[in-house]
Amino acid sequence: MTDILLYDLIRGHLLKLSVYAFFIGIAYRFFRVLFLGLPPDYAPPKGKPILKAIEKVLLKPSQAWRFFLEVFAHRGIQYVGGFLFHLGFLGLTFFVPQHAFLWGDILGFEPPYLPQVVADILAYSALGSLFALTVHRIFNPVLRLLTGKDEYLANFLIGLVLFSGLLATRWAGGAYYLWMLNVHMLSACVLILYIPFSRLSHFVYYFMSVFFYGRNVGKRGVSF
Amino acid sequence: METVWDLFRRRGYSRREFLSFVSVTASLLALPANLLMSFGRALELREKPVVIWLEFQDCAGCSESFIRSTSVMPSDVLLDFISLEYHETLMVPSGIYAEQAKEDAIKKYRGRYILIVEGALTPAEDGVYCTVGGKANHHLLREAIDGAKWIVAVGSCACWGGIPAAYPNPTGAVPISDLVEGKTVVHLPGCPPIGDVLVATLVHLIAFERLPELDSMGRPKVFYGQTIHDRCYRRSFYSAGKFASGLDDDGARKGYCLYKVGCKGPITRNACATIRWNGGLSFPIQSGHPCFGCSEPNFWDRGFIYKPLSAMPDGFGPKGMLGALAVGTLVGAGVAYMNKKQAKKGGK
Repeated sequence: MTDILLYDLIRGHLLKLSVYAFFIGIAYRFFRVLFLGLPPDYAPPKGKPILKAIEKVLLKPSQAWRFFLEVFAHRGIQYVGGFLFHLGFLGLTFFVPQHAFLWGDILGFEPPYLPQVVADILAYSALGSLFALTVHRIFNPVLRLLTGKDEYLANFLIGLVLFSGLLATRWAGGAYYLWMLNVHMLSACVLILYIPFSRLSHFVYYFMSVFFYGRNVGKRGVSF
Repeated sequence: METVWDLFRRRGYSRREFLSFVSVTASLLALPANLLMSFGRALELREKPVVIWLEFQDCAGCSESFIRSTSVMPSDVLLDFISLEYHETLMVPSGIYAEQAKEDAIKKYRGRYILIVEGALTPAEDGVYCTVGGKANHHLLREAIDGAKWIVAVGSCACWGGIPAAYPNPTGAVPISDLVEGKTVVHLPGCPPIGDVLVATLVHLIAFERLPELDSMGRPKVFYGQTIHDRCYRRSFYSAGKFASGLDDDGARKGYCLYKVGCKGPITRNACATIRWNGGLSFPIQSGHPCFGCSEPNFWDRGFIYKPLSAMPDGFGPKGMLGALAVGTLVGAGVAYMNKKQAKKGGK
């Protein structure tokens, strides 16, 4: 199969299939859990569950106030790496022009997009931090025990998407560009298919789970 | 038969002008400087090529493009530069005599002529959709293939099937390479291809007596080795994230990148951005229109011309998203209901 025919297959059928599977899978997981419900909790709340939930949703994502605490508590790699990785990966997913046009096609409105130089900085930082986090995961005795195949596969897929995307963008010229683009799009399709069936789905459920976590914290009347 | 140099001399051009032609063609072919002299010498001594030009399902745009080549004087291309023994479109008024001339040329120049094919082939239903002089197109091609020294497919129709092969392809159009066995077909795709690309390829064949370096799809690497995007003068806007949102908006007037309005430059390999058209005057992107990737296979079926390359060809839209979410919700709710029912049963 030639590069352009593979490109057509990925851009046409495979991308569509993976995006459909993503939305079906995400809705399936969420509503299955929702409809299964939780056992009734008759204990009166000790704090303010909803306020705490809102507070967690608003403050937890940045965790900026914890910077010095975390960095000097010997969790610098996880803290700084995790922050840079999430910032880079989410920024690239939604705000790189080519991706913004795709989101515009899917959502019906187009997110604003970044100049290439900002996208490059995000890609380098995300790729570097992903590498650092993976190495840390391998060598840290506690993290190693907590890590399964799921994490390694997810890290590999994300790394491949980032690396091939960066390479395709910085490609100086030549006919192999299409192969690079094919690797990028194919790995992205596999990743999109994989998200609903893996822990990567936290990327969709993040705010909902933080809200739920905050509500529980508020119910118990503790700070976290 | 006269050589290319003889031809120049007869037309009253000076040696300086001949050498200028040699330099231009050598640079088009990206030949190294040390080959320039032997290249010029070959053009001085080698006979001009005998060409048989077949034309099947097409619009004749490739012929138009060829005779408007600017690296050789347009009027000279057909009359002098090549010994054109047969051209279906140009010889239409000659009727059966033209057909006779072709058959004679195939016999006389057996093993020496260059077979140029323009247009897609339609062998379906024994070629009833395209006949010339009462003969089906695939029979005509078969007759000419055997004696051809080189076969050149000109235009996207001959190379990949092009527009005749676009969905739903009612005539069953196929590329000519489907019928050629044991011989390499040089593909010069484009709708139409740049005339100078064909001239330079022919000059290469005459001067070096061998095929130019081809890529995996049979295209000369020197012309199809890079994408339009690689050489596009608007690429700096692409890198800066500045895109025109319409063909006549402020961004378009400022010359921003046309990716958002459907430019297929990043996946299209051709020499438009370097050689350009009309004597190097311009090319589609320079004229304000996105490249629609005419030199790549299936270009007509690659979705709406004015849609960004990163979007899905036939769209997705909020309706698709909501539909998928609804399906997921129903399945999730259904499975949860079954789980609950099963748990209740187990509890009992």
